[in-house]
Amino acid sequence: MYRGKNISELKKQLENNEVTKEELFASANKLAHYFQDDYNSFVTILDEYKVKDRDSLLSGIPYALKDNFSTANILTTASSNILKDYVPVYDATVYKKLKKAGALLVGKTVLDELAMGGTGTTANTGVVRNPWDKNRMIGGSSAGSASCVALGIVPFSIGSDTGDSVRKPAAFGGVVGFKPTYGRISRYGLFSFASSLDHVGIFTRNVKDASIVTDVLKGYDPKDMVTLKDDNKKYTDTLDNDIKGKKLFYIKEICNSELYKDSNDHELLEVLDKFHKMLDKCRNLGYVIEEVSIDKNLLAAIYPAYMCISCAEATSNNANLTGIQFGPRGEGNNISEIMFDARTKGFSEFIKRRFILGSYVLQKENQDKLFLNACRARRMIVDKINELFNEYDGMILPASGGIAPTFDSSSEKLTDRYLLLENHLAIANFGGFPSITIPYDFVDSMPIALNITSPIMQDDLLLNMAYKIESVTDCCDIYAKVGDIDV
Amino acid sequence: MIEKDKLKKYARLLMFDMKDEEYKTLQEEFDVILKQMDLLGKIPDIDKVKPMTFPYKNMDATLRDDEVGDYLTVGEVLENTKYQVGDQVKVPKVVDEDV
Repeated sequence: MYRGKNISELKKQLENNEVTKEELFASANKLAHYFQDDYNSFVTILDEYKVKDRDSLLSGIPYALKDNFSTANILTTASSNILKDYVPVYDATVYKKLKKAGALLVGKTVLDELAMGGTGTTANTGVVRNPWDKNRMIGGSSAGSASCVALGIVPFSIGSDTGDSVRKPAAFGGVVGFKPTYGRISRYGLFSFASSLDHVGIFTRNVKDASIVTDVLKGYDPKDMVTLKDDNKKYTDTLDNDIKGKKLFYIKEICNSELYKDSNDHELLEVLDKFHKMLDKCRNLGYVIEEVSIDKNLLAAIYPAYMCISCAEATSNNANLTGIQFGPRGEGNNISEIMFDARTKGFSEFIKRRFILGSYVLQKENQDKLFLNACRARRMIVDKINELFNEYDGMILPASGGIAPTFDSSSEKLTDRYLLLENHLAIANFGGFPSITIPYDFVDSMPIALNITSPIMQDDLLLNMAYKIESVTDCCDIYAKVGDIDV
Repeated sequence: MIEKDKLKKYARLLMFDMKDEEYKTLQEEFDVILKQMDLLGKIPDIDKVKPMTFPYKNMDATLRDDEVGDYLTVGEVLENTKYQVGDQVKVPKVVDEDV
């Protein structure tokens, strides 16, 4: 049987000649097609592969790649009409490394258009549905990459994370979502959204698999000038290190249950109750976990600062989408009219609204009050967290204040729950901190997750701490056992 | 509420347009977003802080040497466009006759 198996299990099957890589690929391909109509994980499902056996833990292992990573000769759309026919001529470094490792690409996954969004509902090929409940979102922007791992189609997939686009859908999908330190993995060939915040991220069903994939992907790349020199560590080697005495903090203003005691939001109350019970389990493991307080004004600024910075950078990064170099060419009598037509037809309303916001905050009259204040708030938040990291090994928080939302739900965007509990994951993008989301329990039959974030460069320690925490959950290697298919 | 004409101006600077009803949605969205953005100004002493544009100081980041790398063949370039004249890509006229 293939479905739901993790990387180590599949590798063992391959080594024992219980299965061939052709059979693994065929199983993944069959599952991908079977679930496509109901869940819409993929933009493109590949029906053949062309890699050779390699000496790597990922050799022969099927995986999926978000459709904003460039893949030569394979359609790469970023789920946008402005790139709907675009077939790149070059490979992203991540794809190149996975090919070199012998991993088998099963498909390119659906994302919120141009990776701007957190719902999985804005792709030009339709909404992505949550494998645990089809009436709910999986979240985004790496929606398809999360859902195909949560469905058990592939043991790992690749996404990108600018605000929480790997770690939030991982939480809603009951899978592990990890983004290493900014610069740890090359972004060459990843379509830029907001360059100062963009990270490559990884979805798996357990922490060890996340370490295995990171070990393959990390390292300096001359084609991405912000990549770090390799730390020459093998993260899988230190997963089992002793964590007794490691210190974690959670932020009172985000998740102290007392703050919400008058709320009648049963989901929120249950999430917080289970989170604090989980902290006790962590304490029993040997962690020292303490509550810290941070100025609420600063925390409430995370989301607006993120919106200002990301939308401003996005307007600039996407200025190359003119219909001239890429995508369908517009109509008109001169170059301006042609570009205007291509962009009017190519971008969805949602994307246009984000671009206008980005342009607004950059206008001379708004720049200091909005864009530069956002960059100042970013520094203050990062400085505060770094100050705490002088004393602590990591920050632990609920990944969300609830379970995956239904498609017809709407959130009140000025509440503490929205501004603090639903958007704090962007802290790790602001500071480039390594950050991981792991599932640990269920509320109303839907998975819930916690997030741990560590100081920059301490990816190995973060994975080590997450691995130990995962061991006291019942959520290692879970997937949504839906569908009537025996593969 | 932010004026529609202002939003239309920003859209045109970004080289696209939207439908009338879409501007209305955007006006309503701006109402909420601007309230959220007001939160930035409420942070004490924010004006004394240097804006942050990069996650951390990366001493490893250096400009690479100029070296000949991979490049595309004419055939590969032409495969990527349906607008061709001979072995060239046909692009719209860029320089206006009046210029």
